[in-house]
Amino acid sequence: MSADILSFIIFLPAIVGFGLMITTKHVETVRNIAFLTTTVILALVLKIYIDFEPSSGMQFVTNVPWIGSYGINYYIGVDGFSLTILMMIAILIPTAYLLLWEGRTKGYWINMLLVQTGVTGALLSLDVILFYFFWEVMLLPVFLMIGIYGFGEKVFTTIKVTVYTMLGSLLMFVAILYLGVSYFNEFGQWSFQYDSLTQITTLSYNEKIWLFLAFLSAFAIKIPIFPLHTWIMETYKNAPTGAVFLLSSIMAKLGVYAIVRFMIPIFPDIYVEFSTWFVFIGLFGLIYFGVAALMQDDIKRMFAYSSASHLSFIAAGIFSLNEFGINGALYLIIAHAIATGALFLLVGIIHDETGFKTIKDLGGLAKQSPIFTTIFAIMLFANVGLPGTNGFVSELLIIFGIYEFNHTLGYISALTVIIGASYMLWMFQRAILVKRTSGEDLKFRDLKIKEILGLTPWIILVFLMGIYPEIFIDKFEPTVTHYLNDILQIGATK
Amino acid sequence: MSQFIHILPVITVLIAAVALMFMSMYTDKFSVKTYIGVSSIVLVAALIFVFIPFGESFSIKPYNSVFNNVLIFDTFSNFFYVLLIGGTLLTLLIGEHYFQHRDYFKGEFFSILLFALFGMMILANANELITAYIALEIASFSVYIMVGYNSEDSRRVEAIFKYLVLGSFIGAFYLLGVVLVYGATQTTNLTEISNFISTTNLSDAPLLYIGLTLILFTFLFKISAFPFQQWVLDVYRGAPMIITAFMASTFKIAIFSFFLRAMLQDLQAIVNFWDSIIYVVIVLTLVFGTWLAVSQKLVKRMLAASSIVHTGYLLLGFIAIGQNMDAAYSVVFYLIAYLLSALGSFGLVSHIISETKVRVTYDDFKGLAHERPFLAAMMTVFMFSLAGIPSTIGFMGKFYVFTEAIHAGYIALAILAIIATFVSVYYYFKLIAMMYFYPTKGECVSNDFNDKRVSTYAIAFLAIITVVGGIGSAIVFFIPVLNIDTLINLTQVSIQSLFIK
Repeated sequence: MSADILSFIIFLPAIVGFGLMITTKHVETVRNIAFLTTTVILALVLKIYIDFEPSSGMQFVTNVPWIGSYGINYYIGVDGFSLTILMMIAILIPTAYLLLWEGRTKGYWINMLLVQTGVTGALLSLDVILFYFFWEVMLLPVFLMIGIYGFGEKVFTTIKVTVYTMLGSLLMFVAILYLGVSYFNEFGQWSFQYDSLTQITTLSYNEKIWLFLAFLSAFAIKIPIFPLHTWIMETYKNAPTGAVFLLSSIMAKLGVYAIVRFMIPIFPDIYVEFSTWFVFIGLFGLIYFGVAALMQDDIKRMFAYSSASHLSFIAAGIFSLNEFGINGALYLIIAHAIATGALFLLVGIIHDETGFKTIKDLGGLAKQSPIFTTIFAIMLFANVGLPGTNGFVSELLIIFGIYEFNHTLGYISALTVIIGASYMLWMFQRAILVKRTSGEDLKFRDLKIKEILGLTPWIILVFLMGIYPEIFIDKFEPTVTHYLNDILQIGATK
Repeated sequence: MSQFIHILPVITVLIAAVALMFMSMYTDKFSVKTYIGVSSIVLVAALIFVFIPFGESFSIKPYNSVFNNVLIFDTFSNFFYVLLIGGTLLTLLIGEHYFQHRDYFKGEFFSILLFALFGMMILANANELITAYIALEIASFSVYIMVGYNSEDSRRVEAIFKYLVLGSFIGAFYLLGVVLVYGATQTTNLTEISNFISTTNLSDAPLLYIGLTLILFTFLFKISAFPFQQWVLDVYRGAPMIITAFMASTFKIAIFSFFLRAMLQDLQAIVNFWDSIIYVVIVLTLVFGTWLAVSQKLVKRMLAASSIVHTGYLLLGFIAIGQNMDAAYSVVFYLIAYLLSALGSFGLVSHIISETKVRVTYDDFKGLAHERPFLAAMMTVFMFSLAGIPSTIGFMGKFYVFTEAIHAGYIALAILAIIATFVSVYYYFKLIAMMYFYPTKGECVSNDFNDKRVSTYAIAFLAIITVVGGIGSAIVFFIPVLNIDTLINLTQVSIQSLFIK
């Protein structure tokens, strides 16, 4: 049973979702059952987190043939890396439910459930075909959510998102097939397990570069890394809050995760060779998106750029080739998911309540809603990396990592933190603190008790992770060391 | 007696076709429903007869003295029987409503449909070029008639005329090819041609190559590959919707059944000769098909045009056979995947228009998901499958074909095919967007529409198979049957039966 717990976590939301689809029409029932499902999953993930013993290997592995004639297996498992992200997803989603609680339709909740299956499945898959399967599956509900519940030019937005992500996915698909065939040619049998694919030795240098880029295209679009980011503008602006939350907090992280999970083990030498470029692109993205965020008036778009900016930072950390950078990136994945997720949901509330989306329409929210403002401020500070919050720890680690990688780039990355602080605080001042310049005062409610309860675990995490990072880092440190020592063979710096 | 078992399904269908023909003389005595019922029962019976020897590997040429080895019955043909009979049966069931609401469908239509099935079944058995020609023409002529059945649509004249003339023209090429092959080998029996190939120095036999190339053209015409794709849009457009479904899926499978047999069993040694031709054909088929599909406004024409693209994928598997025998399985698997998704999607459109008179443009689909969520959901499943989105059988088909193509070394072609797939996401998803993202327009909704009908269930059945065939039951439920592996094994067993000497 203990081995199948992961399957249960993956498929429970989908089964519940399909069950709800055909049985009931009541929105409240659907929402309550869906929420209950996510809390059950949270409990199970907690159990896994406690049972998990820090080590470099996979645990809770299930490996059964799926399409036997092609060596495609239903192969899932969890290691320190995926465990941390699994935990994050399990905590974020139920709280998001609490914040999205009112005024949604049945389809909205069912789509949320389906996304959870896709995301968790992609996270836990160790077979690339299975991974690809979930990778696509998690996109489809979001596609529907944007198209049905979005605003403005939602159809155009949907098509643009789909086209972008599909293009990346299909390139990755070719690369997967190519790897599979290479494995077959070398070993005489089919296999698409990631640990089998790492054994391929027959690929030439050029082939590896092409395959590497094909994989990267899929993940870089999802993250998004500059210059593959152009889809996020419309999307974050026109998509409903839930979809924005899922895209920015969870799916983008899976892009980063997939780089670590599949690309590092399969192409270690290419990864090392090109790491300078990617650190550079990451830092460039950080600055570029940061400056772009400074100039935004639409609050959602500003967060979109801010999110992209932090994700570029994560990407830079991932490619920095040392333990500081990778640990920091992983830590920032969590920190950013919490902070950005909360901020998007809070902005979603502003939008739902007032209908305003631009910063200059807002103002003076602090007076009417002190609790809202406090929580908003906490998340904001976590986002800009104030000491004591998890953002600080992660940014510090990444800056250390990049510094160790290259001193000059390290200095640059340290300075970029200012950009993040400036657009965030400036926005905070204009939208929340200062009184509105035009028109009468805004009518804005404070957070309800349910929403506060939902956000409490996030706030606790922000500080717990910021003040006492060891308890979290200990869980995934062995995995990171394993990656550096055994796969990249460059030695972890302790 | 055991020999009789094998020819029983064909006999059943033939007798039923003749019987229906006689029945149709008394039009006023039987309703369309009766005809559908009788035909369905016969087809189910035939299907049961097929399943008697199913699963084992065999290859026999029954009643030598009568048939003179022109027909061969093996697991391969049996496998195709299942697809062909199943396809026809589903066509009937899906079209049930459509047939009843169009006055021009009279009793003889069902007789013709069964004659078409008879021809296609014989085609799957043919071991001789002339027999194959006759079988092909029986099927084709039945289809010509069915294409022209829509007496309410003036386009039928253009459709039937185009199809008939071009089809006969290409049929003449086939015959010329047979003549040349006969001139070179003194036989039209495929087994003997195979013997000839293995015993003769082929550089002395240019006629054989020219003849077979002409026959190949017929194949390309019938499956609507470039440059023979010109007829597809107009013919599919003019034909009654449900016949379009039949042509796009079932008829195409029948064509493949014969040519796969010929390629694998008898011409394997010289198949590589056509590689460069087919290579170019694939590239152009994919490019042209995609371009056509993108530019369509009518859903029916889009589906027709996209069927050209799917022909391209099938040919991609086909060309890989020369390098790597395993690709044959992928072609067969893709055929199954396409049969399900194409029948489903065409059938669903015909289901929608069965009571309305809309032309079914993309616009007509606006808001369908709000009015009829289940139909929209099923359509979405079929679109996903056609576009090759994971979790549907269409994805498995593409995975299979592309893997084998890459394995055979056709990487550039595989990438081109993936690009075509990428573009196809656009025109398939556009339909989904129409159904879900817009308010209702109401064109495709009729008042007395109740969804508890045979066609709905048939389509729902297809949708379920499409999904189950994609994820298989290996996940979660671990049910051994209905597994993709089982399906793949079946295709393998059936193709291996071709090599039983």
